Amino acid sequence: MNVGAAVFLGLGVLFSIMGNVGVLVFPDPYTRLQASSTCTTTSVLSFFIGCMFIVGWGPMLGRLLVITLFFFVTSPISAHIIARFAWKSGVVPWRKSFAMKRHAERRDD
Amino acid sequence: MLAWVIRFMVLSIVVSMVRVVIGPTVADRMIGLNLVAAQTLALLVLISVSMERSIYLDVALVYDIFGFVGILVMTRYFSGKKGEL
Amino acid sequence: MDLRTRWALVRFGITFLSLFAGWLLFTWSLDSGSLLAGGVSSLAVSLVTYPIFVEETEAGRRAHLPRPHMFLLFLAALVFSMYVASFRVLWRILRGDINPRVVHFRTRLKTDIARVVLTSSITLTPGTITLDLDDDHLVVHWLDAQTTHSRYAGMLIKGAYEKLLRGVWL
Repeated sequence: MNVGAAVFLGLGVLFSIMGNVGVLVFPDPYTRLQASSTCTTTSVLSFFIGCMFIVGWGPMLGRLLVITLFFFVTSPISAHIIARFAWKSGVVPWRKSFAMKRHAERRDD
Repeated sequence: MLAWVIRFMVLSIVVSMVRVVIGPTVADRMIGLNLVAAQTLALLVLISVSMERSIYLDVALVYDIFGFVGILVMTRYFSGKKGEL
Repeated sequence: MDLRTRWALVRFGITFLSLFAGWLLFTWSLDSGSLLAGGVSSLAVSLVTYPIFVEETEAGRRAHLPRPHMFLLFLAALVFSMYVASFRVLWRILRGDINPRVVHFRTRLKTDIARVVLTSSITLTPGTITLDLDDDHLVVHWLDAQTTHSRYAGMLIKGAYEKLLRGVWL
């Protein structure tokens, strides 16, 4: 356990908390997907880099490299698949001006 | 320290199951499942590093492949039935 | 031996080398038994799958002989910008002010694999997600949109990546 491992594991924990909070508070599927896919990808990548610092040079490093490479390929593609599914099935993106306009109309009534 | 990170990841997976349960649309539930899959992958890698067994990393790789294929299959299945959601 | 046979041999070699490098990385041992097993199994797999792995057309030739040092530079730039943009998205989540928009723009990359890598790196960078890719027309969901003008938004989102990727794959 050295300094680099501690720094990267701490970064992973921080991004993981923020990804969970973002998924819970954001208003529509696209913004939730932003929080989940991006913050969680960064957090998992940080965990992997921290694990590489821990295991050092050896047979586990090769497998960690393979897993990191595979995760780097599949994670954006699965996020893109979900986003494309939502876009094709007609989920309307949330917009800031819509929410404010609706709020103003309700105040006019 | 690694043991505390593992406990935190288990808690985090439980919290992200909330979006799978309450999600209003199918896309929301799939986002939750994707999140759970990614964090479970990190959990498996952390467990195998803390136990220093390199054979457990194979399990993590196969789990990664099956999580990806699962998301793919779910989108193919649900995009065929647009009116029923 | 005509041109087609020679090109098939080169494709077979590329597939075999990729599979064998994966095997070496995964087993991390230089035993003769392990090397023999990896060689035989990657030979068998590459005999079956080389027409899929590298296509026979001109586009396949362009796609699979990149410049590796430029690709390593691109990966380093991608990881660095991932961390920078993650901190930006984290600040957005904490403050709770978001301005999401959907923007459309075009890319100037020619080969298929370069377009796919551009799409993946746009999705991997926090703050932007590619919703659709149709030929050279991208639909991108942007978390904190500063503009909806097509060319300006394209310059802000894909600018550095496209410049680096043109060095890798044309």
